[in-house]
Amino acid sequence: MNRDEVIGGTLIFLLGAVTAYFSLRMPVGTFRTAGSGLFPLGLGILLMGLSLILFIKSWVPSKSMEEKKPKHEVSRSAKQVILFLGAIVLATFLFDRLGYPLMSFLLLIALLRTLGVKRWAYNLSLSLLTATGAYILFVLWLQIPLPKGWIGL
Amino acid sequence: MFESLQHLIAGFGIALTVNNLFYCLMGAVIGTLIGVLPGLGPIAGIALLIPATYNLNATSAIIMLAGIYYGAMYGGSTTSILLNVPGETASVITCIDGYQMAQKGRAGPALATCAIGSFIAGTIAILGLVFLAPPLAEAALAFGPPEYFSLMVFGFIVLCNVTGTSLIKSLMMAVVGLIIGTVGLDPVTGVARFTFDSMDLLGGVEFVAVAIGLFGIGEVLANVEKPLEFLEGKVLVPRLRELYPTLEDLKKSFKAILRGTAVGFGIGLVPGPAPVIATYSSYMIEKNLSKHPEEFGKGAIEGVAGPESANNSACQSAFIPLFVLGIPFAPPTAILLGAFLIHGVTPGPMLIGEHPELFWGVIASMYIGNFILLLLNLPFVPLFANILRIPKKVLLPLVILFCLTGMYTVNNSLVDIWMMLLFGGLGYLLRKLDYEGAPLLLALVLGPKLEVAFRQSLMISHGDFGIFINRPISMGLLVATLLFLLVPVFRIILKFTRKGGIARG
Repeated sequence: MNRDEVIGGTLIFLLGAVTAYFSLRMPVGTFRTAGSGLFPLGLGILLMGLSLILFIKSWVPSKSMEEKKPKHEVSRSAKQVILFLGAIVLATFLFDRLGYPLMSFLLLIALLRTLGVKRWAYNLSLSLLTATGAYILFVLWLQIPLPKGWIGL
Repeated sequence: MFESLQHLIAGFGIALTVNNLFYCLMGAVIGTLIGVLPGLGPIAGIALLIPATYNLNATSAIIMLAGIYYGAMYGGSTTSILLNVPGETASVITCIDGYQMAQKGRAGPALATCAIGSFIAGTIAILGLVFLAPPLAEAALAFGPPEYFSLMVFGFIVLCNVTGTSLIKSLMMAVVGLIIGTVGLDPVTGVARFTFDSMDLLGGVEFVAVAIGLFGIGEVLANVEKPLEFLEGKVLVPRLRELYPTLEDLKKSFKAILRGTAVGFGIGLVPGPAPVIATYSSYMIEKNLSKHPEEFGKGAIEGVAGPESANNSACQSAFIPLFVLGIPFAPPTAILLGAFLIHGVTPGPMLIGEHPELFWGVIASMYIGNFILLLLNLPFVPLFANILRIPKKVLLPLVILFCLTGMYTVNNSLVDIWMMLLFGGLGYLLRKLDYEGAPLLLALVLGPKLEVAFRQSLMISHGDFGIFINRPISMGLLVATLLFLLVPVFRIILKFTRKGGIARG
């Protein structure tokens, strides 16, 4: 049994089931006059069917499964991805409040730091330079209405 | 034929205006940069730049976005040759002999052969586009909803068959894409579906958010996970005078370029990731035809010239199904379809008649774009290669900032950014679990068209599914689909039969 296949298959099966459930709450109609729910209902059932085939395949031992890949550990790299994504999520959350220039400056500091730019002078100057460049390009030159935030820029 | 030439000349009149020339140049330069930079492929690149075209007319916008697509195909070879890291998936094959040539101090001729091969292939393929598209568009007028439905099903199955490691997983991704495509107002009855009372979802899931999320953010996250030292090695940047190939190189490459062009053009017309299949096929053909197949993998110039020509030729001919049928067969052209729709133009058999200035203008701009790319890629290769010296730990945050800014500009909405991040996380997970994002994106773009064609067909036939097999074109396409579905089954049967034979022996 391949653990990744089972996890992926289960999640997709659930998506199929949820789709089918909500489709049944819409008018399904007949094949002659199909309602809004008919097409997504068919897709939900098809997705569940495909997931079941994947389950069956994942239970049948095959050569490729015997040659197992090394187990992924929750390593430094996984932590790095979580921190990286976390910084982006936080920046998006504060986008309206901080405004574009400040958000981009702080986000760049956080992302560079996560990726191993440890020297503060280099990190800060690079972030400042890039955020200023992005501000000039997008806000001043291309006139894109980006959030100004409390600094009003 | 003469009519096509006349239209093409008129197209040059449109493409050669200062405005359109500028956007063609911009597209070619940005495309080359996107191709050079690993971590940002043509799909995310085009999606990111769509908002920048909102203020342009449809012709200028498509000229620029198409330029990004074929520009990225040109640029992708640079990293393959200099770093052994493909800038985009179609350049994977170029790594084999291109990098070996670079290791032997022949990076210059390898890069120049790529540029020359791409130029010749691109130019010949555009000629094919000029002369094939109008008659094909006329033939496509005979297509009704059942034919369109069968054609789209055929496209999905072929794409699923050739992408990823598992047909089942690719099919699952296509169905997930179709389900996401049903979010929003029902295209036939106008009933809201899966919107959960959110006004933001009434218009459906923003496909730009899905494209940037899956292919931009997802790719960046996958890179963040890798050891960061992997792209900070020494970059071999050739000097200008080292660029020119010898007469012997050109002689060896010439036939490979022509063969690559023909192979690429044919493969670009059928569904699937055409440039990837075209480069692989061309490489195998060159290896089989070569008098010295042992040189392949050790720096054979034909192994660079053939696949790179096939890559660009496939990329140009992939425009034919998009322009003529309005159906993209691969994710980059699916994104371009989205761009067409945003600008109020529906590609299909009527495109040439209804928007001749756009069709012929874009084709003429492709000629000009190819020439610009040749000029860019020969003398400026050292400059583009220097961009590779930017460490990845600096580059990835810049890509993220660009994605966030680009996504916000689509609708000036944070909801789109959240959607992009959601699909970014999904894209990363899909990579971890070995699922392909390409079928999902294609299904998302084509989903509403597929549903409308399906429901209209059943309305015409009063609910009789026989309509799909009673019409010859539709039946032919469904038979082809069935054959593609059965290929893996035949393979398994063949494997078992062979095993049985060995066991008995």
